Amino acid sequence: MEPLLAIDDLTVGFRQYGRENDVLHGVSLRVDPGQRVAIVGETGSGKSVTLKTVMGTLPRPPGYIRSGQIRFDGRDVHSMSARERRRLAGGAYSMVFQDPATALNPVYRIGDQLIDILRAHERRSGNRRSRSETKERAFEILREVQLTEVERVFRSYPFQLSGGMRQRVLIGMALLNRPKLLFADEPGTALDVSTQDEILHLLNDLVDHEGLTFVMITHNLGVVRMTADYVYVMRNGRIVEDGPVTQIFEAPSHEYTRNLLRVVPRLTKRPGAPLAQEPRQSSDNLVDFQKYTKIFAASRSPLRSNRKADVRGADNVNLVVRRGDVMGLAGESGSGKTTLARSVLGLYAPTSGQVMYDGRSVEDQYRSLAFKRRVQMVYQNPGTSLNPRRTVGQILQLPLRIHSLPKEQLPDRVGKMLEQVELPRGYVNKYPHELSGGQKQRVAIARSLALQPDLLILDEPTSALDVSVQERIIALLERLKQEYALTYLFISHDLALMRNFTNRVAIMSRGRIVEQGETDDVFDAPKHDYTRALLSCVPVISAEEEAAKPAIDRAKRQQILLQME
Amino acid sequence: MGRAMQKQPDPVGRGETSEHTRTAIADPLEGLSHAYMRWHRFRSNPSALIGGAIVTSVIILAIFAPWIAPFPEHAGDFIDFRNRHAAPSWAHWMGTDNVGRDVMSRVIFAFRISLTLVVVILGIAVPFGVTLGLIAGYFGGIVEIVIMRITDIALALPPLILALAVSAVLAPTLTNAMIALTLLWWNWHTRLIYSITRQLREEPFVEAARLMGASRRHILFRELLPNCVSAITVKTTLDAGFVILIGASLSFLGIGAEPPTPDLGTMVSSGGGYLPESWWESIMPGVAILYAILGFNLLGDGLRDLFDVEIS
Repeated sequence: MEPLLAIDDLTVGFRQYGRENDVLHGVSLRVDPGQRVAIVGETGSGKSVTLKTVMGTLPRPPGYIRSGQIRFDGRDVHSMSARERRRLAGGAYSMVFQDPATALNPVYRIGDQLIDILRAHERRSGNRRSRSETKERAFEILREVQLTEVERVFRSYPFQLSGGMRQRVLIGMALLNRPKLLFADEPGTALDVSTQDEILHLLNDLVDHEGLTFVMITHNLGVVRMTADYVYVMRNGRIVEDGPVTQIFEAPSHEYTRNLLRVVPRLTKRPGAPLAQEPRQSSDNLVDFQKYTKIFAASRSPLRSNRKADVRGADNVNLVVRRGDVMGLAGESGSGKTTLARSVLGLYAPTSGQVMYDGRSVEDQYRSLAFKRRVQMVYQNPGTSLNPRRTVGQILQLPLRIHSLPKEQLPDRVGKMLEQVELPRGYVNKYPHELSGGQKQRVAIARSLALQPDLLILDEPTSALDVSVQERIIALLERLKQEYALTYLFISHDLALMRNFTNRVAIMSRGRIVEQGETDDVFDAPKHDYTRALLSCVPVISAEEEAAKPAIDRAKRQQILLQME
Repeated sequence: MGRAMQKQPDPVGRGETSEHTRTAIADPLEGLSHAYMRWHRFRSNPSALIGGAIVTSVIILAIFAPWIAPFPEHAGDFIDFRNRHAAPSWAHWMGTDNVGRDVMSRVIFAFRISLTLVVVILGIAVPFGVTLGLIAGYFGGIVEIVIMRITDIALALPPLILALAVSAVLAPTLTNAMIALTLLWWNWHTRLIYSITRQLREEPFVEAARLMGASRRHILFRELLPNCVSAITVKTTLDAGFVILIGASLSFLGIGAEPPTPDLGTMVSSGGGYLPESWWESIMPGVAILYAILGFNLLGDGLRDLFDVEIS
């Protein structure tokens, strides 16, 4: 069979500072009609560059194509004129972007954006449709991506739609001109698991029913297992392994693939996860939420208060974090995890109830230096939590200087702090942008530990990192916990990670805690329907985990998730 | 260059991804120093390069005027009626003026006044404006309202008119012109820094510093200010051109350096009486103004492009 897309020995690079650096080294792959192909790789593996080169969106310069051939439907793409290529894009193939929040133009209605695409394609292909036909096609596509209330969606601005709906609209846009091949950049990974699950099902349905061919690039192996037939594993600009999805997941031949599969956190209990096994004797309550409620008023003026629009960040929360715990706060976006965590720092004053820290109300003590010493936070994105204009040394010295460490001891202490997080001492003079994501997060962790706190609040500390880096950061956190007798309040939407890192867990939705308990109990025998629904959505990478997920059919799950809203 | 390059992923997993086989992968930027990379970007940015060259030449001319100018004595009380209104020639490249002084020598000396204006006015107005902007942006609330409304009022005053008014009340001297311009310049920087600070204050790194217990002074000047430096540099460079222009306008209107001190605006104004026959007496100083302002503007634009790359 003639492949729909064939890439042969593609070498691509970028010119930087007068040097040429190849970032793809002889990449070859083929996609057969009707196939679902996944290109898997971590940051810097070259998967995005491959996609861009195929789509013709590689910026040149600084990019260049040294050698290789790309054939689409039997035709050599490079020998085409720019005009022909443009006609190919959007017609013969099209693309679903990763982030539905930014890929739609916020100032135009959905309907207008759809019609624009149709019109542009008509102009290029020359066959004009009538106004009503165009509109009908737009409605048709919205129904095709399983949106209800298409009339309303058509008239909406992007901000009036939920993340899942926007993602559906984006998929619809890509399908408007009936492409043969659909590219997707990290489909669904910017969404909550329950929404992601719906989107992946939709993509699968579309491939089955519309005769589409589907190529995606992703770092999420769970997504790959759900939506691909054939997998290419990329690393450092080379394809290290390829094969049918079952072969890659069950009998990977390359060491890198095996390692990648090993570091993905499992939804089943990892044997030898040190923290999860350790028995807790302590009954010392470090943090205690007592009927804590925090309402974010929709309007600041008391005269125009709008109770209905007020957001309940936390709703009558009772939760205890004991000394030595790794307490997990899990939930989808907007569930109130971060509100709770920030309340511990005194950043949000309670609307009612209170948060106690070590027996005293946080409100009474959060301004004191002594309190700041004891509670620290590690942020989700080390790119923004480290000042880009200050060196690692300056960043790490700050807490020490505030808490009046003698000046002559500073360099040595900073060196020790770097060693503590397994970074070389020489990094003191580097700026954050010279470090990789994982290294930056290590610096952020070192900073938070500078004052030897009791409690560390970890706000999705690994969600911006590659999975292999995540594994090492988690290992570091586990080690530091033992060494310094720390307590962690760990926020994450990644339930598999939660399972393997925490010993107690609270599942949140809409500001309420729907279930809490020992991690093993919650995961092995979830009591609340919402927990069961959430667990059943998690994309997993083995049949064993699939079997361990709560059995719950899609319709029922949808009903539960909707109920919670 | 530019934004497109930013979007490209880290080309060869320089960081953690390849930690276990780091030796196998070469860092594409290895061995390149910061200074080299900055110079490379500067070099491949034509407007920065040309602007930088012009600005450098103006500064050198001003500093070394007595050695560079062909007739340094013409900058002062010099009269040579036999050579008045002489057209440009090999002896006098830009001709001579109504009392026979070499126009080129006077232009070179006049850059001294222009640059003094730039240094004094911006040297006072920029730090003042920036500090107010930082304070208003970071603290918010009543502080913000007071500072920003005063800024708005100051922005509503037309600079040239105010400068004329100040000189009319006091005396039409260079010092008074500088005072008037300083009074008007800080507010632009306040607005700029205020808007940047307002965005930055929500950044996690600012919150992190606060949670460590950092002082307000530390947050303002060590966390926030360094992130404003590129914007301040670009704005100040562009401002330098405007200061020269407005300084020339004021002296054209008779407020500025005392004769016989050479000043570009005064020269344009006094040379204007001999147009069109002795065109060089006003056109040459005019071209000099154009040259200096063009230099600062090109440099400012170029720096903006350079910083854009660096920040993100």
